[in-house]
Amino acid sequence: MGKSIVITSGKGGVGKTTSSANIGTALALMGKRVCLVDLDIGLRNLDVVLGLDNRIIYDIVDVVEGRAKLAQALVKDKRFDDLLYLLPAAQNTDKTALSEEQAKSIVDELKKDFDYVLIDCPAGIEQGFLNAIAGADTAIIVTTPEISAVRDADRVVGLLEKNPLKEESHLLINRIRSHMMADGDAMDIDEITHHLGVPLLGIVLDDDEVIATSNRGEPIVLDSDNPAGRGYRDIARRLEGETIPLMKIQQPKTGFWARISHWFKRG
Amino acid sequence: MQAVVLRGNQDGYQIVLDQAAGFEEIKEKLRELLDNLATDSPVTDKISFDVLSPKRLLTADQHQQLEAIFGTYDHFQIHKVIPDVMTIEDATRLKEQENVHLATQTIRNGQTLEMKGDVLYFGVINEGGRLLTTGNIYVMGRVLGILQAGYPSSEDKIVIGDFHRAQQIRIGEQINIVEPDEVPDDAQTVAYVNDLHVLEYGQLSELKTINPKMYHQMGG
Repeated sequence: MGKSIVITSGKGGVGKTTSSANIGTALALMGKRVCLVDLDIGLRNLDVVLGLDNRIIYDIVDVVEGRAKLAQALVKDKRFDDLLYLLPAAQNTDKTALSEEQAKSIVDELKKDFDYVLIDCPAGIEQGFLNAIAGADTAIIVTTPEISAVRDADRVVGLLEKNPLKEESHLLINRIRSHMMADGDAMDIDEITHHLGVPLLGIVLDDDEVIATSNRGEPIVLDSDNPAGRGYRDIARRLEGETIPLMKIQQPKTGFWARISHWFKRG
Repeated sequence: MQAVVLRGNQDGYQIVLDQAAGFEEIKEKLRELLDNLATDSPVTDKISFDVLSPKRLLTADQHQQLEAIFGTYDHFQIHKVIPDVMTIEDATRLKEQENVHLATQTIRNGQTLEMKGDVLYFGVINEGGRLLTTGNIYVMGRVLGILQAGYPSSEDKIVIGDFHRAQQIRIGEQINIVEPDEVPDDAQTVAYVNDLHVLEYGQLSELKTINPKMYHQMGG
């Protein structure tokens, strides 16, 4: 029996889908069987980030309405043998096409076959959110070091506390810009964690490559040198129970010549 | 004991209804009693009776029936009906209003914690969270949201504690949007509504002048 994890945030655009794709891929790289479930019905894009958009035949609404078997709708990612699958969202209907019971029964069904079922939650706290948390054992709450994202994350933590999941939720702070945090212009990691009162699962640095790679349909964890990719791999290992210290936030080093030219500019 | 007993003391006349007697019997005996009174000692002044109903709560309907009986006599009327008992519901309400309640849970964005009576709050209220109560609020936790005392309309309630980072303080119907540096960074601040119905901030040491009644209740 696997474990189901919902990846949620409240606010849109903080990196739920990117985080789902990358944590899922990182777990698959560790040899775990992973199924990613896209519940952003009507606005699906997890398939695009994974580069699987051209392989979709059936979607989750087809399964619920009996037009396809669950196994038929699963899209296999060929890069990872038999380890990574996607259950795509429907595109031509909306979040009300699914009920909480239906979402839960699908997740329960998938948990029998997979080590991890990662549920990509839509933004907002309406039906789509309720569907996403219905079948989840635990949650990863994604936020960025911005006050608006933290405020919405607080709302979501509150909602999850009202309807507690099996296990305690965890926090993922995404898109950290090291220089802004060092200058004190962005919210501090400790400050966010303390404010939300949710244990920190990991941090992911902001990196241009995250966008570039997802545009190519390749999750950033496949790049072994990238700091953002490393953040996601650390998170996957922590989910597996390993103890890994938090990544240090380093300022980009200024080279010798850059420093020389800086002197001249000053004059 | 008889179903209906007439007593007199320095406060006036009292009619005691026996809790063991049926209500029909009481009505009958009451009529008899009042008849006798009316004929035995004709009076010109109106007499008010306190009706004591120990260990029995009268319904509104029974109240009306008693009133109707008294209404048939020109000179008799009910001053008030006094029971010695109360419903569990009323007792609970009274208990809730009289006690200081402890609360420790976190109130997050979009959540409202509604309480009754005075509240001693140890938790954290995040921005967008709201603590609301009918009584006073004493805060010891971190407050970044909204505190509302005296809900819905008691302006004699106060808020004590450190709430300099709160978004709003509300007492009764008065609302103050807390501006930066408006409220001192101090756990001894008191928020209250003054005689002009304006929400104001003061120091705990001034409580005696701010709210003398409460100051004395606290034993000051």
